[in-house]
Amino acid sequence: MAELWFRSTLRARAAMLALLALLIVIGPFADRYALTILILILYFAYVGQAWNIMMGMCGQLSLGHALYVGLGAYTAAALYQHFGVWPWAGMVAAVAVCVLAATVIGWLAFRFSISGTYFALLTIAFAEFTRIAFDHFDWVGSSGGFFLTVVQQDRVDLLNLRGHPLLFYYLILALTLAAFALSAVILNSRLGFYFRAIRDNDDAARACGVDTLRYRLYAVQISAALTGVGGVFYAFYYNNLFPEQIFGMGRSIEMILAPIIGGVGTLFGPVLGAAVLTLLSEGVTEGLSMAGLELPGLKQIFYGVLLGLSIAFMPHGVWPPLARRLGLGRSATPQGRDDA
Amino acid sequence: MLEVAQASKSFRGLRAVADANLSVGAGEIVALIGPNGAGKTTLFNLIAGSLSADGGEILFEGRSLRGLQPHQVCAAGIGRTFQIVKPFADMTVLENAMVGGYRGKADTREARRRASDALRQLDMWELRDRMASALTLPDRKRLEVARALATQPRLLLLDEVMAGLRPTEVDRMVAVFTRLNADHGVTILLIEHVMRAVMALAHRVYVLHHGEIIASGTPQDVVRNPRVLSSYLGEDAA
Repeated sequence: MAELWFRSTLRARAAMLALLALLIVIGPFADRYALTILILILYFAYVGQAWNIMMGMCGQLSLGHALYVGLGAYTAAALYQHFGVWPWAGMVAAVAVCVLAATVIGWLAFRFSISGTYFALLTIAFAEFTRIAFDHFDWVGSSGGFFLTVVQQDRVDLLNLRGHPLLFYYLILALTLAAFALSAVILNSRLGFYFRAIRDNDDAARACGVDTLRYRLYAVQISAALTGVGGVFYAFYYNNLFPEQIFGMGRSIEMILAPIIGGVGTLFGPVLGAAVLTLLSEGVTEGLSMAGLELPGLKQIFYGVLLGLSIAFMPHGVWPPLARRLGLGRSATPQGRDDA
Repeated sequence: MLEVAQASKSFRGLRAVADANLSVGAGEIVALIGPNGAGKTTLFNLIAGSLSADGGEILFEGRSLRGLQPHQVCAAGIGRTFQIVKPFADMTVLENAMVGGYRGKADTREARRRASDALRQLDMWELRDRMASALTLPDRKRLEVARALATQPRLLLLDEVMAGLRPTEVDRMVAVFTRLNADHGVTILLIEHVMRAVMALAHRVYVLHHGEIIASGTPQDVVRNPRVLSSYLGEDAA
């Protein structure tokens, strides 16, 4: 992290600090609606960052990341609701469950050399049959949904994560910042170099001494653990969980749009992508409802169009060209996979 | 240092390498030559762990390499390059070499030091911030060597790193390998078609033909050997 800091340009450092300061200060001034939008942006930035470690750095495409959101959410929620376990402790359990699931999937895939498209299909399959299993899992409400006890929102209970949306805003801000910092540390360590080597050429990575099976597993495990923590946040913020909603294929796709539109493999891509995506989609929905139009499924169509445009005109995402224009990327990497 | 004894490998009945025997002593530069399709790269892949031998034994510093994965062979002290270059395209030249430099040590400063050394040896320091995807073919070949060298190998396997280079570039590469061998004690086993390089570099030469070693000796002896000439030029020429 320190190294990344000192290697980035002065402008980049100033911009990072300014953005962070703005996000910290803005909280108390934002109304309920603005806060909801901000939380949504940060949530997508966070899970996008988590997915990016696996895909952007290590080149392992997961199209079933909702699996880890769901497992994390249900683990912590069930422990809280049934046994009164604090969400912070539930988080540890959630991470453990997600890492275990990631290890099983990763080991199955990599041991038998399933990669590329087939690996992506495998991740979808696991997410889908977990959804079906939870539809029939009575202990957590099966398809009827699982609900957390909602208390009065003006009392902040940090230990049990109950309270005003502002609490959740600062929580997700801290999580996003932590995920960003962790990604930066990984990128500048052996782990990150090995991930990127695997992404670019498996044979060459092996010849350089990289145990590719083991490092692929690490990538999936780290990504799953972070995503699981996101699931815990989701559970305590929304207070209700439905297998259909949380494990759904659409959720997995929604999660990966931010890093793809922002820039796969970049640090700021997921953050920028989440902001662009959420603001535009909310704007379009608001605009249409003001014009008296309510069209179900419009959001999905909008996502589709945006994704298509982004891939056609900015195949590396919005961030790399923007970073160059603002003079924020390191001049040393003209194609800037890792402009910070 | 390296002992290959009776190594064999068949692909669907085709014997790509047949009972090959080869040895490389510490500090030597040994060339492996032979016509296209003779099994040279297959033999390399058997040593490097990319393929597993059907039979025979491969010893490195007295230790068997059989059943080892490529990354374990690398950890044992053998670096290799690929005939068809495999750069990490979305990483810079320095970062490419650093992947090698991290071998056995998760220390970024050390990895950068090893990578910088390797790039300087190959006269590539000026290119360090260039993306690997933006390099010319000769530079990509040199990057293959630098990356392998950054893993701190005691034995370097070079698979046709001179192919496609201009004569002046070949001479530069020859100088680099001579220096690596003399000053840094790196033992080298190279597959090479460019005879200019083989004659200048190799202490000893093995000739592979249809998967079998048909001759070995000093470069001067080997090029006069009738079996070698006929393998390259046909029976009539010998």
